[in-house]
Amino acid sequence: MGDEPTQNGKRFDPMEPWRGVRDIYMDAWAKTMVDMVNSEAYAQASGAMLDTYLTVSTPFREAIEKAMLKTLEQLAMPSRADVVSIAERMTNIEMRLDDMDAKLDNVLRLIAPPGASPRMEAARAPQKKKAAKTQQAKSAKRGKK
Amino acid sequence: MAEAQVTADPFTEAANRLKTLNKVMTSRATIAQSPKEPIWTLNKAKLYRYIPVLPKEKRHPVPLLLVFALMNRPYILDLRPGHSFVEYMVNKGYDLYLLDWGAPGPEDKNLKFDDYTLEYMPRAIRKLKAISGSEEFSLLGWCIGAILTTIYAALRGDDGLRNLILLTAPLDFSNKQGLTFARWVDERYFDIDKVLAAFGNMPGEMLDYGAKALKPVENYVGNYVKLWDNLDDPRMVEAWHAMNTWVTDNVPLAGGAFRQLIVDLYRNDKLMRGELIIRGQRVDLSRIHANLLTVIAEGDHITPSCQSEPIMSKVSSKDRELFRIAGGHIGIMAGSGAAKYTWPHIDGWLAPRSK
Repeated sequence: MGDEPTQNGKRFDPMEPWRGVRDIYMDAWAKTMVDMVNSEAYAQASGAMLDTYLTVSTPFREAIEKAMLKTLEQLAMPSRADVVSIAERMTNIEMRLDDMDAKLDNVLRLIAPPGASPRMEAARAPQKKKAAKTQQAKSAKRGKK
Repeated sequence: MAEAQVTADPFTEAANRLKTLNKVMTSRATIAQSPKEPIWTLNKAKLYRYIPVLPKEKRHPVPLLLVFALMNRPYILDLRPGHSFVEYMVNKGYDLYLLDWGAPGPEDKNLKFDDYTLEYMPRAIRKLKAISGSEEFSLLGWCIGAILTTIYAALRGDDGLRNLILLTAPLDFSNKQGLTFARWVDERYFDIDKVLAAFGNMPGEMLDYGAKALKPVENYVGNYVKLWDNLDDPRMVEAWHAMNTWVTDNVPLAGGAFRQLIVDLYRNDKLMRGELIIRGQRVDLSRIHANLLTVIAEGDHITPSCQSEPIMSKVSSKDRELFRIAGGHIGIMAGSGAAKYTWPHIDGWLAPRSK
């Protein structure tokens, strides 16, 4: 029935004409909507909606935050502000470590023998050392056995 | 053999279609499969190096760093095997690096362009130079990533930047009538203080709504109709699934950076007017001397061409090219035509300048 191929090799699809109409309708709808969102009125309306949402939700949000803070205090658990503070300090520590890493790279570059690909080797050195150490440890274990 | 040719009955066909639909709507595609290693991290940011596939003597000596937008995941550059800009460039012999900004948390709400361009980028680039062994490098910035790379190029022009590629770069905000976003975030309608006081960072879902609402019917209806029509085509389904995985993976934008984007750029066009101050330094675009390729998507409704063109006359680069290509904001790099047109053009431009 519907599985029979037509002359050009395609199966007859009874939904095809409907799809054509749908696409035309959607194109027209899309253009109308693009015009709408581009309008001053839409900008004003969406701004007003967001503003209303924020105005209405802020007292509830603040009340929940206060209650949560009290609860965490009672439970002797860190608040969001405490966690944020620790995270900021961690980032500062990371930056100091990065500064040290930069200095170390410079030192390794300066002491690298001429002709070697200095920075590449310098950057790779710790990994190589670690790999060598692991290898040594493995050999030692085998020796003991 | 004969059985294989028998078409399934309509009920089985419908069941299979629904099964496929359910799968792609409720699961994540496997994306970002090009092998890479993290070589540097700071806070949420990570610098990845893609594992080269060509021997060193066949690779371009100047490494390339990819910088994507702050509010989307960067794996759009490496969507899936065979459809990946990263894979393409690695195969062409580039020493390729990717700066992934990660997702900011509440502790990052004060991060600004200042931090991204003068704290994170220089540190990541230092590491890139150390690993690659090259004092020079190329930068590719896409969307907000192009704003960051432009600011960096203007402020750190002497840092070894040889080539600068800007993809769909929103840099000029003077044409208020041509920018829907500019209308939406007008100070008469959009209270940025209230929004950031409530959320801290700008939520990814709101940013996603903003981007999709520019073309609501295409994004909220047409996209799914297209999937429904092509459920029998595994290639289309795979492509849709991967893209949908990326589109729905939203990242918040740090509050400080969002404020700068809206107030300094969308409302006051400070970058093009030479009034943008980053950590006390004025961002002077005429201090950009790197070779410049600006790529404009002609069908881009997020960053219309009027936002990307004017930089060409502001920079001091002697070697500069404006490349226009048919397609949308994301489509030019991740669409079906990207591998035929955009990627080869970028490679063709960059390869002789990476020697």
